[in-house]
Amino acid sequence: MNMSPTVVVGYDGSVDSTTALRWASQLTRAIGGRLRIVHAVGLLEHAGLLADHVAVHRETALGIAAGAGADPERIEWSVVDGDPCSALLRMTMPPESADLLVVGSRGSGAHEGLLLGSTSLELAERSVIPVTIVPREREAQDSSPPV
Amino acid sequence: MKLIVAGPTGTTQHDGGTFHPEQQARIFSVMDGIRALGLEDEVVYPPTPKAELGDLIRVHSVAYLAELEAFCARGGGDIDPDTFARPDSWNAARRAAGAGLAAIAALEDAGEGVGFVPTRPPGHHAERDRAMGFCLLNNVAVAAASLTARGQKVLIVDWDVHHGNGTQSIFWDDPDVLYVSTHQFPFFPGTGSAKEIGGPAAPGLTVNIPLPAGATGDVVRAAIDHVARPTIEKFSPDWVLVSCGFDAHLADPLGDLALSSGDFAELARMVNEFTPRPGRLALFLEGGYNQVALQLSVTDTLGALLDLPAHPSAPTYGGPGMNEVRLAVSDRHRAIEAVQTTVSSVEGGG
Repeated sequence: MNMSPTVVVGYDGSVDSTTALRWASQLTRAIGGRLRIVHAVGLLEHAGLLADHVAVHRETALGIAAGAGADPERIEWSVVDGDPCSALLRMTMPPESADLLVVGSRGSGAHEGLLLGSTSLELAERSVIPVTIVPREREAQDSSPPV
Repeated sequence: MKLIVAGPTGTTQHDGGTFHPEQQARIFSVMDGIRALGLEDEVVYPPTPKAELGDLIRVHSVAYLAELEAFCARGGGDIDPDTFARPDSWNAARRAAGAGLAAIAALEDAGEGVGFVPTRPPGHHAERDRAMGFCLLNNVAVAAASLTARGQKVLIVDWDVHHGNGTQSIFWDDPDVLYVSTHQFPFFPGTGSAKEIGGPAAPGLTVNIPLPAGATGDVVRAAIDHVARPTIEKFSPDWVLVSCGFDAHLADPLGDLALSSGDFAELARMVNEFTPRPGRLALFLEGGYNQVALQLSVTDTLGALLDLPAHPSAPTYGGPGMNEVRLAVSDRHRAIEAVQTTVSSVEGGG
């Protein structure tokens, strides 16, 4: 890991992605790293057919990250076309670079115990960089920095 | 010329609700578009049985198929923010994939005509082991793989507004399939750069022509002519399958290209030129979410292929994208040269 590691975290507005974002924010604060928040835009969101849109997600995500202690100067918000898994994988591969990928245990639409629809399980299988899957329960048990 | 319609499927199953743009009403609009041709009893409707597991495992992993079936059996749900499955979706997807196979069989029996496969769910985003972009099984890929299994070479032209990431990835390294896609870029699903040219066993057999928002029909036609035609003619396909999405239409809510229904008619005529003989062209419904545009586009596209005295809307001209077409040519050449250099370097022991 380099001297200023980059942590990529997926955020889709779900409870689990919010937990992951808080955890990743605390981590980057603790290690002096950069935080890249990635939001995947799919077909329905592009067409404005989902309740929330990109601007709302951006404002919410940046607020959560700052509230969890991430340095606002070292936070980057990225909107990427694609399904969440593909979009997150692309953000960890050249020409992009990252040292750690952080995701919630399930995202919006995913189902416990199933590979189908589980972005986190698929990322764990396909990512070429380390992946941290933050369980939903983690926040309630321990909100201290993860180092 | 005979019109063979393998479908409709997906009219009573796989319901995501009226809010979801990939809805049953699409198929009703498509069928209205077919009826508007005025062919009545001249249209052939072959039976469309569900695709068998043996057909599906040519392009999908067994694990994925088992997971999808089990997911549906447990009641289904949202697979990702775009893609849903319901208890009947496994059967609906198998029927959609089977319809493509039925179209191929009917064309072979007839030895003439044009096949059209109006089915849902659509297929070109579905990857070997992943559902996405409204797609569960890759219908056009299942049909193409059934042909390559018999030694046939297949050209797939994908003019949907979205890149067919699933079809590309399934045939990435297959020298018997040439995949050509025109699509808005950058856009969902994020793939489809001109630099993506195919794997080591099939360099150059993926042809991506990314286009900017607002591109008109003349740009798409130029893209096919200048970027894809030389490769297509060299490839010399036995069959031509079209991932026939109508969401590149100006009125479509899910895309930002600016084609008219008349442009699809022109594209259909162009693609038909690539068939080696009659009865080797089948069009598979992919996207298309404005019901009126969908109906008109179906009528104009099929009317053009059948040489019917229709009066499609005027083709469109003047949108952005000609520079991107030129760039696609140079990007492809550079990518192919890089592969060839690597190969000669390895073969030369360098």
